[in-house]
Amino acid sequence: MNTDNDYVIETQALSKRYGQKLALDNLDLAIPRGRIHAIVGANGAGKSTLFRVLLGFLPQTSGQARILGRDSQKLNPDDRSRIGFVNEEHTVTGWLKVAQVVAMQRQQYRRWQQEIFDQVIGHYHVLPQQKVSQLSRGERAGLNLALALAQRPELLVLDEPTLGLDVVAKRAFLESLMYSNTSDDCTVIYCSHQMEEIERVADNLIILERGRLMNMSAPEDFTARVSHWVADAPFKGPDPRSLPGLLERQQIDGLQHYIVLDQGDDFAQFLRQSGARNVHSMPVSLDRAVNAFLSKNHAVPAAAA
Amino acid sequence: MMEFFKAELLRLRAFAIGLGAAHLLALAFMSRMVDLAQQPLTVHWTAGAVYALLGLLLGLYQMGNYRKPSAWLNLLHRPLAPWRIAVALMAASLLLLAISVLLPIGIVALWQQTMTPRVVDLRHWLLALAGLQIAMAGYLAGAYAMLAERRYAASGFVFLFLLLVAEATGFGALALQGLVIAWLVVMVLGAFKPDLSAAPAPLLPLLSAAIPLQMLVLLLMVMFYQGVEMGWIAQGSHPNNSSTPPRGGHNEVEKMDDRGRMTAALSDSKHPDAALLREQIALSEPEGVAQQVRRLPQRHELANLAPMEFDDDARGIRWVFSHDDMRLHGYDLRQRKLVGVLGVGPGNTALMAPTLPIGGMPGMADGDEVLLAGGTLYQYVSASQTIVDRIQLPNGEVILGASPIGESLGLISATALYFFDGRDLIEHEGRVTPRMHVRIPGAAGDLRNLELMELIDGYLLVATFSARAHVMDGGTPYQSVVRVHDDGRSEEIARRVLRHDYPPIYRYQWFWSSPLLSWLKTQSIALFAPPMPQEAITPAPIPRGMWILALTLCLLAGAAAAWRSRVLPMSTRLRASWIVASLLVGLPAFGAMCLLYRPRDAAAPTP
Repeated sequence: MNTDNDYVIETQALSKRYGQKLALDNLDLAIPRGRIHAIVGANGAGKSTLFRVLLGFLPQTSGQARILGRDSQKLNPDDRSRIGFVNEEHTVTGWLKVAQVVAMQRQQYRRWQQEIFDQVIGHYHVLPQQKVSQLSRGERAGLNLALALAQRPELLVLDEPTLGLDVVAKRAFLESLMYSNTSDDCTVIYCSHQMEEIERVADNLIILERGRLMNMSAPEDFTARVSHWVADAPFKGPDPRSLPGLLERQQIDGLQHYIVLDQGDDFAQFLRQSGARNVHSMPVSLDRAVNAFLSKNHAVPAAAA
Repeated sequence: MMEFFKAELLRLRAFAIGLGAAHLLALAFMSRMVDLAQQPLTVHWTAGAVYALLGLLLGLYQMGNYRKPSAWLNLLHRPLAPWRIAVALMAASLLLLAISVLLPIGIVALWQQTMTPRVVDLRHWLLALAGLQIAMAGYLAGAYAMLAERRYAASGFVFLFLLLVAEATGFGALALQGLVIAWLVVMVLGAFKPDLSAAPAPLLPLLSAAIPLQMLVLLLMVMFYQGVEMGWIAQGSHPNNSSTPPRGGHNEVEKMDDRGRMTAALSDSKHPDAALLREQIALSEPEGVAQQVRRLPQRHELANLAPMEFDDDARGIRWVFSHDDMRLHGYDLRQRKLVGVLGVGPGNTALMAPTLPIGGMPGMADGDEVLLAGGTLYQYVSASQTIVDRIQLPNGEVILGASPIGESLGLISATALYFFDGRDLIEHEGRVTPRMHVRIPGAAGDLRNLELMELIDGYLLVATFSARAHVMDGGTPYQSVVRVHDDGRSEEIARRVLRHDYPPIYRYQWFWSSPLLSWLKTQSIALFAPPMPQEAITPAPIPRGMWILALTLCLLAGAAAAWRSRVLPMSTRLRASWIVASLLVGLPAFGAMCLLYRPRDAAAPTP
């Protein structure tokens, strides 16, 4: 395993087992320093487990995990000051006033920068004298982000930070993240199900499925791998099992729609040879591409298969 | 660290102040009804249990909120060592409990001292500290229960149980509570780590968690045996509950009346006078001499065994013993005003030991009271409002009971029965000396019954030693018959060995379950306890069969630990340590190991 600081997160054959279920399955992951990295995956893909292992709150069953070059089970207070974490619940001490929370954080984090906090919290209508428990979920998310960014971490982990936020709050959150210039000197790990957010913020797309790494590339590179084909084929078209790289198949108005992975013009040839009269392709959005990719192996009841 | 301390105070201050106010109101109400400082032990036990419960609930609530995964991550993922956060939370809880528990007790004590004639001693102020310490122990046990894995979360409760059964008093009790708190703090600090599912490590947290856990396993084993005993009782053959006690056993003797016990003691005797004495017993009125003091009051003890006060109804004065100046303080019951401080004799000197009023004696004037103070018996004389030193036992012996025997007064100590002439006591006002004494033929802790019958030229005394025959530290039960002559000579004329009604496997259940922990339990209960001559025992030697059983179980535990530890996530050194511990401690160590560690591939998610 590489022990220098090229990677902020590095795992090798990392496995975590819950009883009979593998949440992380021999995961080899190396996330380089800098930029915004998005981690996506269906529920149960192992994202939260990965973060909990990386932050030392859960032991791995086997393998190794390092964060900022340190064994994740041996993080010291100084390491923790270099890692910011924002979770979906935005757990902030509810009984304190905003100003008290800020004072507490400022006391604890040596690299605290009040200007960053003020800049980020400026996107929200949050008053210092307000109790945290009186803030809306969106305001709490903003406060949480402001607290994390003002710590000036080297690595910032955002675990589904916009979950449950309305459109306005989501937008405010993303804007405050984007305008903070965080990624200039901080690596951001952004875990979300919201593809439009990822499309907007992420430089690198990491896809986890059942605890395994399925993709790591720029989002546009991943989108380029996925194509949408529409074929005017008689009857049901070719046997889906024979279709190379098939991610998703639908029949709409007598036309067969195929979303496939890593297929070029050869795929049009294949469809024509299979009886399609007319074939054309179109690009897919990141949302569609990721959804198709993730739903490929999604368990379905036998009746719906 | 200070920020967490303040934040936690802010979080729970309203709760603490509200609880403190309710506590103060309850104490104030009770103070109007009774003198809280003079309540018997059961009242203080109840209060202590309530404080422990309050602390326990605080610990469960506080750590229960924090241990939710996201809250736990938010709490611990910061540039502070977990132990510093834990110390901040514990310190805040200590202050909150001080507001809820210590402060109201202190306010009531202050009111009682300044606004009433009631006695408030140093021990009553310390009682407030004890209340806080008990609540803190409850809090820490609750905090540990919430932080530790569910399998062994209850092990902190062992210490609450220890506080309940410990024999330490006064400063000793405070020291024991302090030790318990220190131990529980180490346990909580060991459990206060990012990965809550991890077994405690390194050595100090591991030992702090493993030792009480082993004791808990032992307690559970003994509770299981008691469940079996319930079945035994239900089945109808239990010696204590069967319609006819086993013949020749101690239960049979214990259920007899005084005459029956005396007759039984001579039943096997080959003594030439045995038949005659049996006839005399049948015709006489045997008297039992009671051992009234099972626990001696200790100076500065936090709680009273019994109220240390009595009323002189003729004068409307209540006399209350003060531990601070070792004198009686009297106040007028109608005017509620202090009327005086009473010591011994004209010099008003301090009494020799903490004093228990035990009522009047035949021949005493109305309002007079007998005061038992260690080895001294005082008489409060109502007419002159003085305390007179009447009896002093020799050699530092303490009086454990007093009973009229014919025209004499019998005083029982840990080693002898003293006879005093009743007329001397009534006709003279000063100190009287014993007419004679007879040594008790056994250990005071084993003595269950003592009967006496007057003979023409003395007494016939029958002592039954079976008080602890049902447990392992009791001696072999027996009855001893002693003839006491008028000139003070005495000789044992018969000794009847009684059978144990309970088999060794029952009596030695603590021992064979774990000899080492059994010893540790006894030592822990007796830690900082004052000397207790009335508890002196002569344990019977442990039967060889029990040693074999205990050693066999230890070997089995060691083998089981070696087998089981193969699949547990532990280093070779740790594994060897657990095998050795199982060999030394037995099944409780093996059980503790299984509870602390889970097999490598069966890790369950942290809730």
